[in-house]
Amino acid sequence: MTDARKLQGDKLSEAEAIERAKQGDAEAFQLLYGLHKRRVYSLCLRMTANTAEAEDLTQEAFLQLFRKIATFRGESAFSTWLHRMAVNVVLMQLRKKSLPVVPLEETLENEEEAPKKELGAQDPVLSGSIDRLRLQRAVDALPPGYRRIFVLHDVEGYEHNEIAAMVGCSIGNSKSQLHKARMKLRESLKTSRAEKAAKP
Amino acid sequence: MNCTEFQELLPQEFEGGRTAEQELHLRSCPVCSGLVTDLELIASEARQLQEVADPSPRVWAAIEIALRQEGIIRDAQLGPSLVPGRPRRWSMAWLAPVAALVLVAFGIVIYQRGPADSRLSVKQDTQAPPALTKLQTEKKTSTANEDEQLLAAVASRSPAMQAQYASNLQNVNAYIKDAEESAQADPNDEEAQQIVMDAYEQRATVYEMALDRSLP
Repeated sequence: MTDARKLQGDKLSEAEAIERAKQGDAEAFQLLYGLHKRRVYSLCLRMTANTAEAEDLTQEAFLQLFRKIATFRGESAFSTWLHRMAVNVVLMQLRKKSLPVVPLEETLENEEEAPKKELGAQDPVLSGSIDRLRLQRAVDALPPGYRRIFVLHDVEGYEHNEIAAMVGCSIGNSKSQLHKARMKLRESLKTSRAEKAAKP
Repeated sequence: MNCTEFQELLPQEFEGGRTAEQELHLRSCPVCSGLVTDLELIASEARQLQEVADPSPRVWAAIEIALRQEGIIRDAQLGPSLVPGRPRRWSMAWLAPVAALVLVAFGIVIYQRGPADSRLSVKQDTQAPPALTKLQTEKKTSTANEDEQLLAAVASRSPAMQAQYASNLQNVNAYIKDAEESAQADPNDEEAQQIVMDAYEQRATVYEMALDRSLP
């Protein structure tokens, strides 16, 4: 086996890779990137709904991680550490793009973005399952503020208190935006289902 | 409780559980019941979206270049001393992406022609095929010329770094040769092909770093 093959052939565990990355080992960095790239990129893609932006943010998240890897002491899981860093990078970027979280009072008044409500009216339900591709498109089409909260809570599994701390809003605001995001998704999914059914 | 009252409380309802009054309304109202079922379905299906795709290979390439430039990667073949000390711009800086593209494309062409040529060499047994010999000669000459030009450019801007870059190019060229020999030994080995590509990418990285040294 040649040296080139050895480089590719020997697989490290994540813990070994972290220790070797601390010493500046290129292969270790690549292994860590390979283990976590999909999760980080998917998060960035969900939050931005833009592949070029998501790739830039993925790159930035990993660069920040690798610059700080010498400080990783293993108190928390590496994936948790990385993921939190990726979320922070994305949120920072969204803040730079002037997409502040809409205050609760405004979300209650801004009915243009909010789904239309006809309380008590007969309403067809989604019933059954949701096609993943249609759900993905519907999430991508959400207004950025709603999408951010929805992705953090329903996709990534963060609690409202964590989201409030990360995003810099109140817990009530986080809950309100999540509910509006779900309502909007429901409308969007029902519309696309109806359009599909109407096609010959 | 009516539908309006129930739905106004929905944002809180998901988190903290329902009151007896809410439960009663939910059981008696198909509209609110359907709504809650849909919202719960959306929330549960959203988990499927967690991992969807891989980023393009350019993301890792950019990360690796940045890590090398910052001296965070201390690869034995490329060395930490490639990190620019006091970079300045020069007129050849635009060549960096061009050189990288040319090198990668050249690697693909050379390798894709490799398996056919190696089969030919087996048939002719004792004599190397003229086409292959010519191609290899052209490649060696081209590589040597490119390296000379790069080293001359480095020397004109930072003479102290010339020896380091010469050593790096020698190492990476040896790595390419090694990788190509592995790939030619087994033309169907996809992993070996990938290693050839990686080797050419490393060479492209050396070029980019050499030219980036001149950037302010």
